[in-house]
Amino acid sequence: MNLANFLQLAINGISNGTSYALIGVGFGLILGVSGRFHIAFAITYTLAAYVAAMLTTWYGWPFWLAVLASALAAALLGVLMDRLVYLPLSLRALQVGTDPLLIMFVASLGLVVIGRNAIALAFLSQSSMNIAGFSNSGVNVGPVTITTLNMVMVAVSWALILLLAAVLNYTALGRMIRAVRANWEMSLCIGIDPSRIFLVVFAIGSFLSGVAGVFQGTLTSATPDMGLPPLFYALVVAFVAGLTSSPIRVALLGLALGEVEALSSLFLPTQFAPLVVFAILFTYVAMRPVKLADLRRSFSRRKPQAAAG
Amino acid sequence: MDPNLVLSYLDQVLVFVVFAVSLNLLQGYAGQVSVAHAAFGAVGGYALGYLVLNAHMGALEAMTIGTAGAAFVGVLVAIPALRLTSEWLILLTLAVQTIIISLVTTVSSLGGTYGLQNIAPLSVFGHDLSEPSGIFPFFAVLTILVYVICYRFGESPYGRVLRGIREDEIACRSLGKNVFLYKTIIFGVTAGMAGLAGAMQVVNNTVASPALFDFNQSSTIVAMVVIGGAGNLLGSIIGVLALVLMGPIFEHLLNFGADAAALWRLVAFGVVLILVLLVRPAGLFPDKVTRRLGKTIDRMRKQPEPPSDFIPKPDLEEMHVIEEHVAAKDRNIVLPRAVAIAATASGNGSSANGAAAIGDVVLTVKGITKRFGGITAAENLDMQLRRGTITALVGPNGAGKTTVFNLLTGAIRPDAGEVFLGGEDIVGLTPDKVANRGMARSFQNVRVFPRMSVIENVMLGVQHQPGEHVVPLFLNIPRVQKVEKEVRERAHEWLTFVGMADFAAAPAGSLAFGQQKLVALARVLSTEAEVLLLDEPASGIDFQWVNVMLQLIEQIRAQGRTVCIVEHNLHVVERLADHTYFMELGRITAQGSFAELTTDKRLAEAYFGTS
Repeated sequence: MNLANFLQLAINGISNGTSYALIGVGFGLILGVSGRFHIAFAITYTLAAYVAAMLTTWYGWPFWLAVLASALAAALLGVLMDRLVYLPLSLRALQVGTDPLLIMFVASLGLVVIGRNAIALAFLSQSSMNIAGFSNSGVNVGPVTITTLNMVMVAVSWALILLLAAVLNYTALGRMIRAVRANWEMSLCIGIDPSRIFLVVFAIGSFLSGVAGVFQGTLTSATPDMGLPPLFYALVVAFVAGLTSSPIRVALLGLALGEVEALSSLFLPTQFAPLVVFAILFTYVAMRPVKLADLRRSFSRRKPQAAAG
Repeated sequence: MDPNLVLSYLDQVLVFVVFAVSLNLLQGYAGQVSVAHAAFGAVGGYALGYLVLNAHMGALEAMTIGTAGAAFVGVLVAIPALRLTSEWLILLTLAVQTIIISLVTTVSSLGGTYGLQNIAPLSVFGHDLSEPSGIFPFFAVLTILVYVICYRFGESPYGRVLRGIREDEIACRSLGKNVFLYKTIIFGVTAGMAGLAGAMQVVNNTVASPALFDFNQSSTIVAMVVIGGAGNLLGSIIGVLALVLMGPIFEHLLNFGADAAALWRLVAFGVVLILVLLVRPAGLFPDKVTRRLGKTIDRMRKQPEPPSDFIPKPDLEEMHVIEEHVAAKDRNIVLPRAVAIAATASGNGSSANGAAAIGDVVLTVKGITKRFGGITAAENLDMQLRRGTITALVGPNGAGKTTVFNLLTGAIRPDAGEVFLGGEDIVGLTPDKVANRGMARSFQNVRVFPRMSVIENVMLGVQHQPGEHVVPLFLNIPRVQKVEKEVRERAHEWLTFVGMADFAAAPAGSLAFGQQKLVALARVLSTEAEVLLLDEPASGIDFQWVNVMLQLIEQIRAQGRTVCIVEHNLHVVERLADHTYFMELGRITAQGSFAELTTDKRLAEAYFGTS
């Protein structure tokens, strides 16, 4: 192994890891606060890439305006999903007394199936779409090459992550979000409407997914199936970092995951990289000490087990 | 329509029936959510393809090996999955799904993204499997076999335990069920069936490719089970039909192109899934108990809002029924069979100390200590429980009374000390083993199994049921049926004893809290354990019900059982307790009769209050 190779891989790890960080933060915010196992995060991600592709190639919008518009479109879709599907379902689950977590998960699977195939149907004639308007070029820094797209992506993503962390920590809205995350039933008592906070986190989380989706689409291209692999990474990042952790902690874990994945190719063939990540996840979940069930505590009717009383 | 085309759709239906029915056993009955079902199919399917192509093995042998391989992988996955709650189980199975599919995609001898091609011609016992018409009878036999096995597992004493695990693992263990073993077996069995389905899929397509078994397939199978209704195998078949038959509807009836029809079919399926969840969250055809539970809740919802000056009144009619039952017990004591057995057992002197008699020490606790970090939950406790007596554990909140129960039953392992039950040291045994050895507990927050009927709740407590073990379940059916009948009768006797026999078929989750407490009492009694640990049996229930409960507990003592209660209500303690331990901050600081404790000057001031 030589140093240049190592540095290049580390740089690649930073850009991939930043992408994992962004989606991990978005997904983790939604799951941690609302308790919705929102697999359809993959769809807001994909939709944003397609919206950006349409705006830039068909209508000639400038790149940055298209990024903003498509991330807002993703946020809107996320909010609609919560309002039209998750919220009625969570009320129904409370009435019937079934496990809301499982119902949300299955409904979200349904949304993925619908979204993925509806996009494929809408673009039946073309298997992928490119996002235009960003002139990508390589910059040589010593022995390694960095692309301008990756630099911009890393800068924008971390700016968004830090902004979210600041909002959560220092604003009234952030305090409300954290209150609902800690205990949504109790937050009702101090005049916070959790369902509105859920909408806010769906908007924020989906917006972040949209930004990540557009950058990924610009780097390669938009395809109907582009959303699932990043979703899996988002799941890993969010769960391993902890669902009630600060965005910065979640993001650093995403970055670390990107580095591990990139550097694993020093020892293993490249195609084994996803295997390494999921083997880590498997080991982590399997070795996890028993009571980390934060979600279960807040969203289940069952009381915390054993030692009570 | 071309008959071959119809048959090829039917073959596809059969493949997914095997997938869906087996997943329903795992998810609907045992409550273990898995999004790796298609990946287990990949194990079976790729094994078949590889063995046929490279080892020139026959289809049947390769299928058997594939099924066994998938079952083996299932058991391997089950071991880390044993302690996980559902969101972590989803995550774990997602990792398994991704790992298996990444593996088969990267290993070059398995053909990469395109997979193994041209796995043909195949035959079974000389029967040609290259045409849909040849495949159909073979698949039909396999599907019926899988269905029958799943039905037997699910609709039997075995399935009752699985549903108990789904509802409440801790309560299930407290009744003596080895939850880990059940989960491991059911993971292995259902993964093996998924492996078989995967092999069938490969036979049907003559190709083993990652796309046949990817995450989308796994989630489709989950969706089929949810649409059909968890815990109802026939419902899963409907779920399969809904998805598979949408294909020909879009392709042949609505005349979409093949590509568009495949996509429309999935969009429509997703829409149906979400609509079903919204309208019927338990699926189109939920199991019997869930259906009743839904009806009860719907009925409650339809009632008009009570006016603001509404004062709740207890249903005295219902109360009479129960009090009559109890009164009948007092006049004419019909002992349930279990007690009669206990009586003869004590006559024979089955205990180690020769003839067992009222007042013999049954349980001895020596120097039990437990620390959680810096907090001492139990410090050097010594206790004795005597046959035919009621021992009460009292003390302020946080004294560690419930922790004592957890320590005695093995829910928490003590740092030091010994617990002797009938002469045997039971420290280190799991809660189910402790229950098997004759010490059972109830829970302060009752922990009934809400989506099971009252009688099923009680039947789960009965020990030594052959139908709860795999071998007799399948090989000694007459005995299983005979014992099952006895178990039902016995559970009915216990329900009659506590006065809840009228509610035998009601879902336990639809009962009022006090009624649930009675059911929980019947359940713990049905274990026929010699030592009963009752955690706040009279708390949280109406005044009139307290009396019912106390009469029952006195009755239990009269039957010669050993009872230990944790109780805050001092009137209850005064009436019931033969001996009382007083706990403070994890230590026993006083013991004696209730009268002795209440006359202790320090305790009277600090705890009992002076009057």
